[in-house]
Amino acid sequence: MENADKKPKKGFSRRKFLAISGSGVAGTLALLYFGRGAIRRKISDVTSEMDIPADVSNFDHKLWFEVNADNTITLKSPKAEMGQGIFTGFAMLAAEELDMAVEKIKVVHANSLNGLLSNTAASNSTSSFYVTIREVAATLRETLKLQASKLWNIPVASISTKDGMLTAGDKQLSYADLAKQITKWETTETPALRPSSQFKYVGKQQKRIDLPDKVLAKPIYGIDTTLPNMVYGAVLYSPYVKGTLKSADTSGAKNSTGVLKIVEETNWIGVVATSRYAAQTAVEKIKAEWDYNPNVSTKDLEKLITVGNGKEVNIQNDGDTDSVPDEVLTGEFRTPIGFHGNLEPSIVVADYKDNKITLYASFQNPAYLQTSVAEALDLKTEDVAIVPTYMGGGFGRKAFKSNAVEAAKLSKAVGKPVHLLATRQQEFQNGYVRPNTHHVLKGKVGKDGKILAFEHHLATGPMIFNSVPAIAETILGADFILAGHGARCAYHVPNVKTTIWHNNLPFETSIWRGVGMFANTFAIESFMDELAHKAGVNPLKLRIDHCDDTPQLVRRKKLLEIIGEKSGWHLPKSEGVGRGLAVCDDRKTVSAAVVEVKIVDGAIKIVKVIQAIDPGKIINPDGIRQQVEGATMMAISASLYEQGTVENGQFVQTNFHNYQVVRLSDTPEIEVILHEGSEVPSGVGEPPLSPIAPAIANAIFDLTGKRLRSLPLQLVLQNASNQ
Amino acid sequence: MQLSLTINNKPTVLDVEPEMPLLWLIRDEAQLKGTKFGCGKALCGACSLYVDGDLIRSCSYPAQLANGKKITTIEGLSENETHLHPVQQAWLEVQVPQCGYCQSGFMMAAAKLLEENPNPTADDIKNGISNICRCGTHPRIIKAILLAAKLKNDGKRG
Repeated sequence: MENADKKPKKGFSRRKFLAISGSGVAGTLALLYFGRGAIRRKISDVTSEMDIPADVSNFDHKLWFEVNADNTITLKSPKAEMGQGIFTGFAMLAAEELDMAVEKIKVVHANSLNGLLSNTAASNSTSSFYVTIREVAATLRETLKLQASKLWNIPVASISTKDGMLTAGDKQLSYADLAKQITKWETTETPALRPSSQFKYVGKQQKRIDLPDKVLAKPIYGIDTTLPNMVYGAVLYSPYVKGTLKSADTSGAKNSTGVLKIVEETNWIGVVATSRYAAQTAVEKIKAEWDYNPNVSTKDLEKLITVGNGKEVNIQNDGDTDSVPDEVLTGEFRTPIGFHGNLEPSIVVADYKDNKITLYASFQNPAYLQTSVAEALDLKTEDVAIVPTYMGGGFGRKAFKSNAVEAAKLSKAVGKPVHLLATRQQEFQNGYVRPNTHHVLKGKVGKDGKILAFEHHLATGPMIFNSVPAIAETILGADFILAGHGARCAYHVPNVKTTIWHNNLPFETSIWRGVGMFANTFAIESFMDELAHKAGVNPLKLRIDHCDDTPQLVRRKKLLEIIGEKSGWHLPKSEGVGRGLAVCDDRKTVSAAVVEVKIVDGAIKIVKVIQAIDPGKIINPDGIRQQVEGATMMAISASLYEQGTVENGQFVQTNFHNYQVVRLSDTPEIEVILHEGSEVPSGVGEPPLSPIAPAIANAIFDLTGKRLRSLPLQLVLQNASNQ
Repeated sequence: MQLSLTINNKPTVLDVEPEMPLLWLIRDEAQLKGTKFGCGKALCGACSLYVDGDLIRSCSYPAQLANGKKITTIEGLSENETHLHPVQQAWLEVQVPQCGYCQSGFMMAAAKLLEENPNPTADDIKNGISNICRCGTHPRIIKAILLAAKLKNDGKRG
């Protein structure tokens, strides 16, 4: 077992933002910029196994907690709640060391003025804070005890804590009553943590602490921000990819009702008005001409992102795949551009006053907001205050490219707080997308059913290069960290080669829930199925047979055995049902799915999904179930329906009528199996997403004998049937 | 244009542009933030509310059409916060929301569905509500509506 209670590195107390996520990696890489292939492989080895540490390490409890007069404690979360349920997990972890009921711990978003802020991404909120929150909570408990010992003039050791009370003999005081008397806090050293065997809350079902507000529809989201004298903004952007503003006639907008100000920038025009309707109406009166390339289309993007095109970077090379004489099986796969479709569009309320600004933002990455707005408005970073809010979905869209700079400039122009909400069309056309991918898989299977050689050639646009300094592209050659996440063959195969072909797409591409794992798992786990059929081995057995005794493969094997049994994998299927399996290893979590499908009126119908997950230490079982169910539905959506396309230099998709997503009618029966295969918690938000697409495709093959090698499967099946 | 309407049983007079979507009247003028903007084209249902008892998508409903009418928003669905509507009770019991942003629209649609069909099957629910949820709370929404039907029917009997 790994040591779950190990302390994160200390020694750099900082009450400031971290650099933009990923730059730490890039900085390390810069030092390594003296080689090519071998070094890149080495970096790939390291990053594919990398633990993402808690990126805040200031243990000053005042930055984390407030003891309230009603003897509750407020935990100021550096991470943002966008639906993952992390606030509840954080309260449970704090409760373990604070000796208070979970219900007595309120969790709020920290802001840059009262606490610490961190990027919320990579499914690492709970895993990276698993130790940190308990340590800060334990420090606060011991600090309270120390203060009580001074007040009562007795040794600390004679004081005990329970249910928010400090007790020593007949002396008793609530945390709140003690805190009221403290004028100067003297913080203790961080004590040893209680062992997990003494946990009272962790591992037990806990109702989410954010749900009462959400069910009562309280104004907690970025869009709900209201400030005195607030006015409304609307912005005109290029509807074309990488379009630049050639000319604009704003006279109609200037005379439009309610307009306070027009702000013309190099590549966008903003309107501030007394109401959102007035602002939007005025924007629609602007006559703009754009320079753009009308020849960008999906057909060309598929050509661009094709194995053999662009910069080639080999990231895994074990043995020699050419040395194996057996016949080669080749499979070719594609995934399309994906949009996030977060239901709350980009929203920032900017309040500019006296060369300082406060940004109220529904956003995953506060450091990005702070640095981008400071730079654009020529402010000191410490004069840009960030107040994060609950998010109406993120899925990676709210990590970069915010409309905060526009909001900030509009606020500065009118000297009032400005509420700037993106339209849905802008959310589609002016954000960024998951890049399309192309995969060529090659495999050789021996007579004994063993895979002897496995090659994965991935062509993709990058996801990481908008989050790291430009030099990273030169150093890395290709984005094997994010877009290449999951590209490596995880199975034990003697001869393995993984290569990425990098090309930049003519628009911004970046992270989407699961990053590269989604596309790479679709390709690899579909191909595993093909190899199994070629070898005449049951697909479950083939996978189990290629798990060796390395820790992650031991966990994978165990989870495969569990799902095999619980899904009735070896039992007969109902008439007209196809069954498929897939597994992935993502953020140190193993996730496996068995999907049962039918074809109804020529369309794929998902009947049942059994998802097994080994997320290591389980904090809130129902919270994990929620994430697994949600990831399953989002993955069904992305597998069956979702596809971004470009024609004549413009994203075709403008709203949900031409970007189909799942509805209630798509809901299958979903069964979730939790397996705690480690004492260390790992990610949950993303991992269960990726096995779904290949499990569906494998189930369709099982049912029809047709191998669908591209997403979205519904469209691909229909096209295949029409041929 | 001056509009007189009743919002959650409260008579209200507001001066707004007649073509302004009702959603913005509710959110920005009446300051009721529970009704959400999602798509602006009546496709996602996040802005669902009732006008004279009819379920409508307020992002695409001109404010002037609501003149003289009774509006019910998510804030008016329950009698008060200690006597929650069966749909909201069920939503908490089943732990439906994740990000929660689309949920007020879903709850409004669910409450209306139960008015029209007090004993829905899972298929009635799947086919009766077309709102969009991106977090994937669909399985729990279906479960919660079935529970809400039970709570509502038990409440009537009791």
